[in-house]
Amino acid sequence: MITRRSTAILVVLTFALAVVGTGPAPAAEKTLAIGLLGPLSGGAASYGVELQRGAEMRSDEINKAGGLKVGGDVYKIKLVAYDHKAQAADAATATNKLVFQDKVKYIIGNAVGATCNAAQTITEPNKVMFGFVCWGTANLAPEKPYSFRSMLSQWELAEPFYRWVKENHPKVKRVAVISPNDTSGKDTNTAVVKALKGLAFEVTADEYYERGTKDFYPVLTKLLAQKPDMIDVAAAPAGEAGLILKQAMELGFKGAKGWTAGTNPFTIVGVAGREAAEGVWSPANINVKSEHVSGAVRKFGEGYEKRYGEVPGVIAVANYAAFDVFTQAMQRAGSVETDRVLEVLTKERFETVWGPLVIGGKETYGIDRQFLYPLVISEVRGGEIVDLAQVLPAALKKK
Amino acid sequence: MSIELLIQAALNGFGLAVVYILVALGLTLIFSILDIINFAHGEFYMLGGFVTYYAFAVFGVNYFMTLVLAVLVVGAAGVLAERVVFRHLRGKTLNAFIVSLGLLWVLQASAQLSFGVLDKSVPSAVSGIVRVFGLIMSRERLVVIVTASALMAALYVFLKFARTGQAMRAVAQDPDAAALQGVNIEAVLALGFGVGCALAGAAGALLAPVFAVSPTMGALPVVKAFIIIIVGGMGSLPGAVLGGLLLGAVEGIGTLFMTSAAVNMLGFLIVIAILLVRPRGLFGVA
Repeated sequence: MITRRSTAILVVLTFALAVVGTGPAPAAEKTLAIGLLGPLSGGAASYGVELQRGAEMRSDEINKAGGLKVGGDVYKIKLVAYDHKAQAADAATATNKLVFQDKVKYIIGNAVGATCNAAQTITEPNKVMFGFVCWGTANLAPEKPYSFRSMLSQWELAEPFYRWVKENHPKVKRVAVISPNDTSGKDTNTAVVKALKGLAFEVTADEYYERGTKDFYPVLTKLLAQKPDMIDVAAAPAGEAGLILKQAMELGFKGAKGWTAGTNPFTIVGVAGREAAEGVWSPANINVKSEHVSGAVRKFGEGYEKRYGEVPGVIAVANYAAFDVFTQAMQRAGSVETDRVLEVLTKERFETVWGPLVIGGKETYGIDRQFLYPLVISEVRGGEIVDLAQVLPAALKKK
Repeated sequence: MSIELLIQAALNGFGLAVVYILVALGLTLIFSILDIINFAHGEFYMLGGFVTYYAFAVFGVNYFMTLVLAVLVVGAAGVLAERVVFRHLRGKTLNAFIVSLGLLWVLQASAQLSFGVLDKSVPSAVSGIVRVFGLIMSRERLVVIVTASALMAALYVFLKFARTGQAMRAVAQDPDAAALQGVNIEAVLALGFGVGCALAGAAGALLAPVFAVSPTMGALPVVKAFIIIIVGGMGSLPGAVLGGLLLGAVEGIGTLFMTSAAVNMLGFLIVIAILLVRPRGLFGVA
């Protein structure tokens, strides 16, 4: 028999269940797939390997800390990486797989300008956020709002680097520039030559070679005939830059050496040998063991070396920082929707391994999509990397 | 432009041409004896490079001993490839061609998994440069030129005077007639494939300290070798030598006047012209 008392208990319990049912749910764990592209094999593999390792370091840290908390959800990050061998056609195929097969909304990591162009034909119309270290000038543009460069490019590096050369090495007046014959190479040489001419240097050669070249004697014979005071192996990857410097030394070159896009001078020493690599200046490098860098970078470097047995170059640091910036922006936006994250990215500052990071570059690219941070000019001495000066890119000075 | 510069450019071209000739000789030897167009030939060149890297750079074996080791290891790998794979495709040129493409990817991917994808530096066995009348060449490259030339001479003597070499030539000319004369065809074919691969391995071993070694290092030399043997004539050993010297001269001197992309294109334009005007190549037989 149903009494008034039991009816009241039933009503209270039903109400309580209803309240519990409509209250805040416990954070549900989901998976956030983040894509990564890169030359993971071939002559430019050092770039791709560093991109992947930088991404692995940050995503593992996030996962070990319990996942990425965004709004009411907790995401485990799953990294999906594809090799495009620095080929544009392979990059387009890989991007299609990431966007339509793996359903990623973020691709954090890519290198080599031509492959970025190819990937952007898919990422932009599909509103996929794309962070890369490609140096192609056209990779950042107002019509490409979902694209970000997470590393300083030739346009931020060349002018302050050569201003430093002019002030500290006044005997250097004639400079030969050599890069791979592709988008990255052409854009880098263009920026370097513009900076050189703007600072009244004489450009003795604006030369290109085909990626994969091993024998540089023919092109160096032509280049050295112009008697440059300095050779800049501008956008050459480490393996090829090392061979150029080694073979230039064999052909009798004894002048100054620069590597505007020199992302990891440790690797150039391995290929060129100590003697040929001696004295190479690089404005793009970061020495993770230097006293000039933050404690966060040093800690990252120690963890990286322990895990992979190698010293990380700037690309590894850049992609680690890029992962950090994009995931921080997701948390601040309270969403993984790219349009909401985009709003945060373009308006706020971020604390990263670089220190405070600002996104700018509108005066160069027509849109603020370039990560800006201080650059350090370093030199190879006795097989070691020695930091010489810290310089601010012009765009960062304005910020 | 000075004469000195032109001669230096020709010397540069010659320096590398002798190594590409070694690769091409192996390729054309295999074609003439086994009728196989081996697209995986560059991977045997790569294998020679890695034998040098591990023996010389990692374990500190004498450099010249590592060259011998590379020839033996890669030669043995060639014999193995013939016995396990290509023997079963005899007379099926198209099948063998496709299988060689597959073997290329298998060997390259295996090397990436085993050795890693990054370039590995091999220290120079000899250092310093030689200057003669204003011309410059590294001692390292001189060693390469002398050793490669010696290997070519040894190959010539072997094929011309050694009984096994004569048997190889007999099989290349007419396998049935050679068999009737008591030549062990199976053994000669396996050895021919092994010698061809060993030449590629020797080239890879010679160039390992000059450049660097990587799993994809065989791609460019094999393309050059194909240009050389098409120009010289498929299956012709003198043709391979002449084709190599011609390509070396075109690349060395051409770079003074053209971009590297144009020079690369020039090599293929010569191939197209030869195939149109003289399809069997300069020394090839109809």
